[in-house]
Amino acid sequence: MTESDTDVPPDATPHVCEHCGRPFTRERYLALHRGLDHAAALSDDERAAYETAHDAETDDLRRFRLLALAGVVALYFGFLMTYAVVT
Amino acid sequence: MVSVPRATRLALTAALGLSTWVGAAAAHSGGLAGSARDSLAVPTWLFLLTGGGVVSVSFLLASFVTDRGLVAAVHDWGRPLPGPGRLLRTLVRLAGVGVLALTLAVGFLDRASGVRNLAILVVWVAWWGGYVASTYLLGNSWPTLNPFRTLAEALPSLDRPYPDRIGSWPSVAGLLLLVWIEVATPLADDPRLLASVLSAYTIVTVAGAVVVGADVWFERADPLARTFRYYGHLAPVGVEDGRLRLRLPGGALPDTVLDGRDDVAFVVTLLFVTTYDGFVATAPWASGARAVVDAGVPPVAVYLGAYLLGAGLFYLAYRVSARLGRGRAETYLSAGYLARRFAPSLLPIAAGYHLAHNLASVLVLSPTLVAVAASPLAPPPSPPQLAGLPAWFGGLELACVLLGHLLAVWVAHATAYDLFPSRLQAVRSQYGVTAVMVGYTMLSLWIVAEPYVTPPFIAT
Repeated sequence: MTESDTDVPPDATPHVCEHCGRPFTRERYLALHRGLDHAAALSDDERAAYETAHDAETDDLRRFRLLALAGVVALYFGFLMTYAVVT
Repeated sequence: MVSVPRATRLALTAALGLSTWVGAAAAHSGGLAGSARDSLAVPTWLFLLTGGGVVSVSFLLASFVTDRGLVAAVHDWGRPLPGPGRLLRTLVRLAGVGVLALTLAVGFLDRASGVRNLAILVVWVAWWGGYVASTYLLGNSWPTLNPFRTLAEALPSLDRPYPDRIGSWPSVAGLLLLVWIEVATPLADDPRLLASVLSAYTIVTVAGAVVVGADVWFERADPLARTFRYYGHLAPVGVEDGRLRLRLPGGALPDTVLDGRDDVAFVVTLLFVTTYDGFVATAPWASGARAVVDAGVPPVAVYLGAYLLGAGLFYLAYRVSARLGRGRAETYLSAGYLARRFAPSLLPIAAGYHLAHNLASVLVLSPTLVAVAASPLAPPPSPPQLAGLPAWFGGLELACVLLGHLLAVWVAHATAYDLFPSRLQAVRSQYGVTAVMVGYTMLSLWIVAEPYVTPPFIAT
C-alpha cells in the first residue's frame, strides 16, 4: 500500500499508524490494525487497546450476525412463499 | 459466540441447498443458450429475483465466517509441484507454432466452411472453448504455448521503451476490437475471413513484441495474453516465486492487486464482452435496433454505439460500487485502490460464464474436430457430432454460472478481510461489489432466459 492508495480529506484528523503510516478513521480501527499487522511491536497499552477494541468488535459482530440471519430467513421464506403462490 | 466450524457447516449446507433448489427451478429452462421462455416453469421475474437472491444469501452466509485465521488458511494452502522440463517446454512451443501454421494454411486453402473446416474447429472449439477453459480450470500455460511469443522471440528485439502513460489501455482496446470483430462478422463460419483476421493479429502482435520486447508486449498490450494471465490467477496450478504451485481454485485472487484503473477496466471489459454477445441475440435488442435503424441510423453505428456505451456503463457501475463500498466501510483507502483490490473477484464470474457458454459446443463438436483433423483438406461431407446432450446438461451449465458467483462472493470476502482491521468494516466494504454482482447476475440470467433471436443487420 502506498501514499496514493489512500485518500484523506483535507479537513479530517486521521489516526495514523506509527509503524506503516496507514491512516484510519477511528482510534478503534488503528488499535485493531496494530494488533493484527504489528503484533510483535505492541506495547502493553497498545495490547490492552487491541483487546478492548477486539471485544467491542465481537459484540458488534454478534449483532450483525443476528441481522444477517434474519436476512437469510426472510429471503428464504420470502422465496418459498413466492414460489408457492406463483408456481 | 457461534463457533466457526458450526457456522461454516451452516453456510455450506445452506449454499448447497439453495443452489440445488435454483438449479431445479432453472433446469426447466433447458439449455443455457437460446432456451425458450415458454418452457420456463417459473415466470422470468421470479427467475431473475431468485438469481439475485442466491448471490445476496451467499454474501450473508460468507459474512458468518469471521475467523481471520480460517479465511487466511484457505488462501494460503498450497503444495509445490515439479516444474516441466526444458524438453517439454520446447515441444509445447513448437506445437503451438505448428498449430498456428496449420490453422492459417487450412483457413486459406480449404474451401469447406463452418464445422467442416479445421481452421474454424481449431480456433473456436479446441482453442477458444477447450484451451481457454484450461487456463482457469488447470493453469495458464499460454506464456509457453503462445505461438506469437515464440515467433517474436526468434526475431531480434528493438527494445524500444514502452510508453508508460498509455498503460495497458491498448489491451482494453484490443479486447474490445477482437470481440467486436467476432460479433459483427461471420468469423465462426467463413474460414478465409478467420485466417485473415488471424494473420492480421499475428502481424500486429509479432511486430509489437519485436518493437517493445516480448515481455513488455505480452505483459501490457496483448489482450489474449492478459486475459489468460488473469484467468490463470483463478486456476489451481500457478507460478509463485518462479516455481509451480498447487493451490485452491481462486486462492491467489484475494492477494492479487491490479496495477491501475486500466487493469480494472480490462477485467470489467472481460465481463462485459460476454454479456454483449448474449444481449444482441435477445428480442428486445432486435426490436430496439430495428426501430433505431428505421429512424435513419446506420446499423453499424447502432451496434458499435451500444457496444461502447455498454462497456462504459459497466466500468462506471463498478467505479460507483467501489465508491459505495468506501463510504460504507469508513476508510481512508481511496476508491481507486478498493476498485483495484476487488476487481479480481469478478474473474470467477467471467470464467463461470465462459464455461457455461462453451462446454456444450466443445463436447458436441469434439468428434467433429477429430474426424476433420484426420483429413483437413478433404473433410467428410457430414462429420460426426455428439447426437445430443442429456436434459440435465442445462442444469450443469447453470451450476457453472452459480459456482462462479459463489466463488466471487467468497473471494470478495477474503479480500475485504485482508484489507480491513475491523471485521465489520470488512463486511460493509463488500456492499458495493455485492450490489454489482447481484445486478450482473440478474442481467445475465435475463439474457439466458430470453429466447435466442438472430441479431438483425449483421452477418452472423
